[in-house]
Amino acid sequence: MRATWIVYRKEMVEILRDRRTLIAIGLAAIATPLVLSIISQVSTKTATQAYTVGYTGDVPTGLGELLSATNLKLVPVPDPASAAKKQVDLGLAFKPGEIDLYYDPNRQSAQIAQNRLETVLGQYSAAQAAAALQTRGVDPAILTPIHLVSNPLSSPVQAASNAFLSFFLPYILITMIITGGFSAALDSTAGERERKTLESLLLTPAPRSRVLLGKITAVTTISLVAAVAAIASMFVTLAQISFPGGSRHITPSAVAVPLMVWVAVLIAFSFSAVTLALGTLAKTFRQGQAYVTPLYFITIFPASIILFIPDFNPSLAYYLIPILNAVLVLRDAIVHDSVDWTTLAVTTVSLLATGALSWYAALRLFTREALLTRS
Amino acid sequence: MSQAAVAVERLEKTLGKNKVLRGISFQAQPGEIFGLLGPNGAGKTTTLRLVSTLLSPDGGMVEVLGFDTRKAPEEVRRRIGVVTADIGVYPRLSARENIAYFAQLSEVPSLDLKRRVDAVIDRLDIDSFANQRAESLSSGQKQKVAIARAIVHDPPVLMFDEPTSNLDVLASREVREFMVESKERGKCVIFSTHVMHDAERLCDRITILHEGQVVASGSTAEVRGGKPELEDAFLELVGANP
Repeated sequence: MRATWIVYRKEMVEILRDRRTLIAIGLAAIATPLVLSIISQVSTKTATQAYTVGYTGDVPTGLGELLSATNLKLVPVPDPASAAKKQVDLGLAFKPGEIDLYYDPNRQSAQIAQNRLETVLGQYSAAQAAAALQTRGVDPAILTPIHLVSNPLSSPVQAASNAFLSFFLPYILITMIITGGFSAALDSTAGERERKTLESLLLTPAPRSRVLLGKITAVTTISLVAAVAAIASMFVTLAQISFPGGSRHITPSAVAVPLMVWVAVLIAFSFSAVTLALGTLAKTFRQGQAYVTPLYFITIFPASIILFIPDFNPSLAYYLIPILNAVLVLRDAIVHDSVDWTTLAVTTVSLLATGALSWYAALRLFTREALLTRS
Repeated sequence: MSQAAVAVERLEKTLGKNKVLRGISFQAQPGEIFGLLGPNGAGKTTTLRLVSTLLSPDGGMVEVLGFDTRKAPEEVRRRIGVVTADIGVYPRLSARENIAYFAQLSEVPSLDLKRRVDAVIDRLDIDSFANQRAESLSSGQKQKVAIARAIVHDPPVLMFDEPTSNLDVLASREVREFMVESKERGKCVIFSTHVMHDAERLCDRITILHEGQVVASGSTAEVRGGKPELEDAFLELVGANP
């Protein structure tokens, strides 16, 4: 294994002297807090933002105060329907025993204002009905013959933060592992060909499998460094910023952290091997970029599934699909605060097999005569 | 079994659809500069790549100091040093780091590493730029680094494939002097070139390749065959003389 160590050490020295890789890692550490801060500010602003409601007619007694308390500002307009297209967020026409609501579903502000209005009107109607019943000597409890007692099995605030983490953490982890090792992988394969050092390297007595293993280990290391930098900065930021809904701090569960480290190592190893195999196919760094860039988009897709289908509960076979399995295992650990050992075992085998197959493919490519003779 | 440093017998190689070598044979001995001459596309570089185990023969055999390139490629690579016209060095490593990296991969013992690296740096007069990053070196300086990394493990067989084609007059002269010095130290030096003047001055024996075949072989005087210049004999052999 001496040759592997020699190649690893040299690759690490070169990587750490490469501005491209250092910039990628630096950006990873800076970009994550920046994105999180923007999300926090936007969501806080959305939750507390005041919306305007244009109206005609007489506002029912007490409703104006309720609307004002929930940041729905009443503004008299001549025509609520036309005003709701642009001038105001909602249009209301108060009529005896009826309220006509006008809104544009294409506007997100209209949808938020509508939700807020319906909540307020529900409370107002219930209060009015209860008051009317009381004046007639009837217990208002008659309105709710079945009383629903809600018993959440975990903190709703924690659940909200888990939902956020279950998407964002795998996304950041996978993105940073791939982008962190991207430049290093291409530099140590296509770069060797481009600057004509490959032939000299292959002329040494070091076995090619050991040389390749040294390269894969170096790329895996730098991928993990990028991922750790991004995840660490993400948790530091999450501890500082606040989100609406009472979730002051978002913190990962005790189960998620070691699992995340294990999954990160697996992804970094398997994708270092994949990018090295693709890089070995390329004659130049630029050509290698063309080969590897689609990989980035393919791997981001599984993380998006969690965003669009949060309750996606697949069969065990889905855990054989690389990257998707990592995303699912992390999501399960974060949301349920526990580890399903069966799915983790399948995921581990799948990612190790992906890495081993890619390593074998890279080795085959690395020992092909065409590597040197193809111009 | 041949006692030659490099023995090539009936060597054949096809690359793609092109039959590059059609059964060539020659032997190179320790303590001589053996010239491998031929026009572009004659098969010189392919021959050296086969000798250095980068390519595998389709037919025939190559032995380096008794080791078959197919059966014991790593043993062969321990005993050779190759310098080519493509001066590829690691740009973000210093000249010294470049040399040390190849010394380690060539299994120079750790305890001996510094002494060996210092020795080649001194021998090739690299001291003044040894700690500079390779990206800032001139072509001549890079070629010195390339030679240093090829000889740092003190191989008995040295192969030079058009080593001066990208160099200026001064740097070319230094490379030629180094080849002569290596021969005097008992090394087998195989020199591939199409520069007849260099071959005539440096080589003890010559093999001329043309379209993948040996068209002449022997001492420089024998190959010249009474012609005033080696170039005249060469042009006649490859059918380029009117």
